[in-house]
Amino acid sequence: MRRSRSARVAFTFAWVLTLAPQAARAQAQPGLPMRALELEQAGQWREALSAYRAALDESTTAAILGIERVYDQLGKRDSILPLIDSLITKRPREPMLRTVQLRTFAYLHRDEAAAAAFERWVQITPRDAVPYREYARLLLDAGRSAAADTVLQRAQRALGGTKDITVEMAQLRAATGLWELSAQSWRDAMIASPYLDQAAVFSLFPTPDSLRGAIRQVFRAPPVQVEARRALAFLEVRWSSAREGWLALRDLPPSDEAVKAWTEFGDEAEASGAWLVARDAFAAALAHAPTRELAVRAANDALSGADPASAVKLLEPYAAATDSESVRTVLPLRVRALSALGRAADAEALITANASRLDSLAHVRLVRMAAWGWVRAGDLAKARAAMGTTPMGEDEDRTMGWISLYEGDLKTARRILKRTTETDPDLLLALALLGRTRVDSAPAVGSAFLALARADSAAAATKLVTAAPLVPDASALLLNAAARIYSARHDDTAAIALWDRIVKDYASAPEAAEAELEWARTLRRNGDRSGAVEHLEHMILTYPRSALVPQARRELDLARQSVPSI
Amino acid sequence: MTHPSSDRRGVARSWIRCLTSRTRGLLALVTLAVAAQAAAAQHLLVPMDDAQQNHLKAYGLTFNALKAGNRAEWFINYRGGSFLLPDGQELRKTATLSGVTFEPLDNGRLAQIRAEIASGNMDAVTLEKAPRIAIYTPPKSPPWDDAVTLALRYAGIEYTTVWDDEVMNGDLQKYDWLHLFHEDFTGQLNKLYLGFRDAPWFVEQRERNLDAAKRLGFATIPALKKAVAERIRQYVEGGGFLFAMCGATETLELAIAAHNADIAAAYADGTPIDEDVDAKMDWKRAMAFRDVHVEQSPFTNSMSDIDGHQVNVPARRQPLGQFTLFAFSAKFDPVATMLVQDHRTVIPDYYGVTTSFNKAVIKPGVTVLAYEEGAPWVKYIHGDYGKGSWTFLGGHDPEDPQHNIGNAPTDLALHPTSPGYRLILNNVLFPAAKKKPLKT
Repeated sequence: MRRSRSARVAFTFAWVLTLAPQAARAQAQPGLPMRALELEQAGQWREALSAYRAALDESTTAAILGIERVYDQLGKRDSILPLIDSLITKRPREPMLRTVQLRTFAYLHRDEAAAAAFERWVQITPRDAVPYREYARLLLDAGRSAAADTVLQRAQRALGGTKDITVEMAQLRAATGLWELSAQSWRDAMIASPYLDQAAVFSLFPTPDSLRGAIRQVFRAPPVQVEARRALAFLEVRWSSAREGWLALRDLPPSDEAVKAWTEFGDEAEASGAWLVARDAFAAALAHAPTRELAVRAANDALSGADPASAVKLLEPYAAATDSESVRTVLPLRVRALSALGRAADAEALITANASRLDSLAHVRLVRMAAWGWVRAGDLAKARAAMGTTPMGEDEDRTMGWISLYEGDLKTARRILKRTTETDPDLLLALALLGRTRVDSAPAVGSAFLALARADSAAAATKLVTAAPLVPDASALLLNAAARIYSARHDDTAAIALWDRIVKDYASAPEAAEAELEWARTLRRNGDRSGAVEHLEHMILTYPRSALVPQARRELDLARQSVPSI
Repeated sequence: MTHPSSDRRGVARSWIRCLTSRTRGLLALVTLAVAAQAAAAQHLLVPMDDAQQNHLKAYGLTFNALKAGNRAEWFINYRGGSFLLPDGQELRKTATLSGVTFEPLDNGRLAQIRAEIASGNMDAVTLEKAPRIAIYTPPKSPPWDDAVTLALRYAGIEYTTVWDDEVMNGDLQKYDWLHLFHEDFTGQLNKLYLGFRDAPWFVEQRERNLDAAKRLGFATIPALKKAVAERIRQYVEGGGFLFAMCGATETLELAIAAHNADIAAAYADGTPIDEDVDAKMDWKRAMAFRDVHVEQSPFTNSMSDIDGHQVNVPARRQPLGQFTLFAFSAKFDPVATMLVQDHRTVIPDYYGVTTSFNKAVIKPGVTVLAYEEGAPWVKYIHGDYGKGSWTFLGGHDPEDPQHNIGNAPTDLALHPTSPGYRLILNNVLFPAAKKKPLKT
């Protein structure tokens, strides 16, 4: 509580500082309030206090707020009360004085004095929303939602509606768990004050899962209100459903405001790693306000989201540009996208066409990208040939290691591919295989890895199963890799058949424990809790020293429903 | 769980490779003898100090061993309050699956441990029979909002839920142990009416209670809850064990003492609280508290001055500190010692509707089990009442210090060694102890 109050004082202080230069410009010479502010900034509290007191006639607001801050620093917040009382006698309708008085009573936990001060204020200005607003805010800050509710209900009766107290109503309703009504109040409040969207997001973020649908309905209800949609979109990102967030924004009628909302949402989606959602948001903005920067961001996000085809399309309008900035930003993305699509010849043609505009380092990088394009196209000879045209650095050498692996030359691959800090799953699988098998040549294994590199997971799984018997010392590893792929493709039947094979035929292999754990997870996911329990118990008892046992126990708790399933 | 015998065998195997064949033969014989001894262990010691990897499930293992007809012993103050169970494949299997650490013991090692226990502030308490447990909770309520239910489910301890109908039908006599949580026995629904009266979960809660009152022949929720509280009082007086947490501690006592007073606000029963309510309260009937001041304002989210922390009244709210478990003489005060068995003596505090108990209103003769240094309140208290006994623990969830309405439930798999939850589970096993005449 003390912290939030200090934060408010700090905010007021910042506001005064913002205004201060303007005030200073308005006056040729710095006045007393400015002098007091300087003393306050210098930490000369007592001198500042005197200066603020002297400035009361010149600028009451700045002086009173300054005195409040200084007393706060001195730990004497109550000392301001006599001064406020005397000023209120002279200016009973001055809201700032009344607000400071209420704030001070609240800070001092003098609840009855605060209530009495509020009543006096209301008596003076019965048709004014400010007293209700200020007091309700203080009560909400103090967690006294029931008392705030009473004040706001009185306000509704006195003011004839909630128009002037929408923000407070929204906060109150959120504080009391009335999420849908709170959303409605926030929507109303944002009509007059669009900048409240972030406050709405903050307030509604704790809405329980089961009630979020109602929030969506309120913010998406016609007529379309950009602020409400933007607030909903940001809420969805906070609720970890960026795609839902985009659904709230994508049908906004095109306008500068909509473009701004899409771009801001793209930034947010990017920051949360929702690449394809970010791409969609930037692409929507791009359609109405095309710029190269937006196209590059959208294409980058498309590539990060493994959709190279859309990256190529997004960059098409800038394909012919040959200025240095386009060569620096657009060209590498196009080469990368074409390579990812296996269109290595097109990528090489692009590099050739722009060769004179590239420095040697950039050229080597692009050629290497194009070599991976040949890998994705399945043409290892051309990949090897492309690599042959570049000087061999460490990275290029590693690319050759991969090509050797794809060709089935495990011996060369073993020599070149070394353990790194990378966590790419293909690399980890390759290193695990090369470290485990003594077989030096296995084209079938190379073919399986090549299918993985070409993102052809169905073929990769089949080929891994076919290759497994050819490397007897790593059969379980390859079968387990295939099972993972089947599982990721939601082909549980095929995955379970492989896990069964590993558990039965390779019970002493390191993969057996993992296979049984994954088998149990799949069963639990499909509602077969007793089957899952059986496998988990078998796994824990058979491999009690496996590093996976803690995970298995956790799964066992979930399968037995002895812990909440979140 | 690391199996010590398999470790020993592994080490022995690596030695063997380094020795001559003759020595190897001799050592192999010795190793076989050691392995045979481990395999033939007669007992399993379940340590409850820092060697234990899952304290909470250790209670479940012991409870279920009792339920299966085994006898067990609770070595209070020995290695954090360890359990001694008979060795058996089924128990080993259950312990391994649960991740409960155990150590096989032969009779020789057990004799050494008993000698150690006899010589210090420790004791061996025989556990005879798994208690029959009842939890007072509304029908169909999820198990995740009650620390005791969470703990029992996680530990795998069987329980039955009861509600107003069962209590009023006299079903409590079927159980050895009754648990209450944050039920408001004053019938004011924890004074949440003003803030949450339109919230769907609150509306449902009120309707459910009104239905029960109507069904059981009471005009209002406060009238029903007062009658339920009286039945619970009679249950303890007749020999039952009561364990209450959070708001149930305070409101049960208020309801019991208010048999001739109206302590419910007008929104709950249509009539205001008696003006001279404090004078009308009959604290002689209560178990733990006396001379309590009842909070009369319906706008103040507090029931009385029993709670030291007053979490729902911002102007009165006290910050959380940490509480310390008292040490007791195991041989002279085994009950209190059982209730404070833990591998930590200082535990971070946590809020609840009732977080703590003001010392000023605790009856003389009540045993304080845990206190906060320098504070005017205590955390954990115990006492006898008639032929039975009761234990009150303040706060809502030992692993969720703030616990607000709507928060995600605590996942105890993430807190398998929780010292706070151990206090709850001590209470579950305490009624299983073979009754010994107290020496004090």
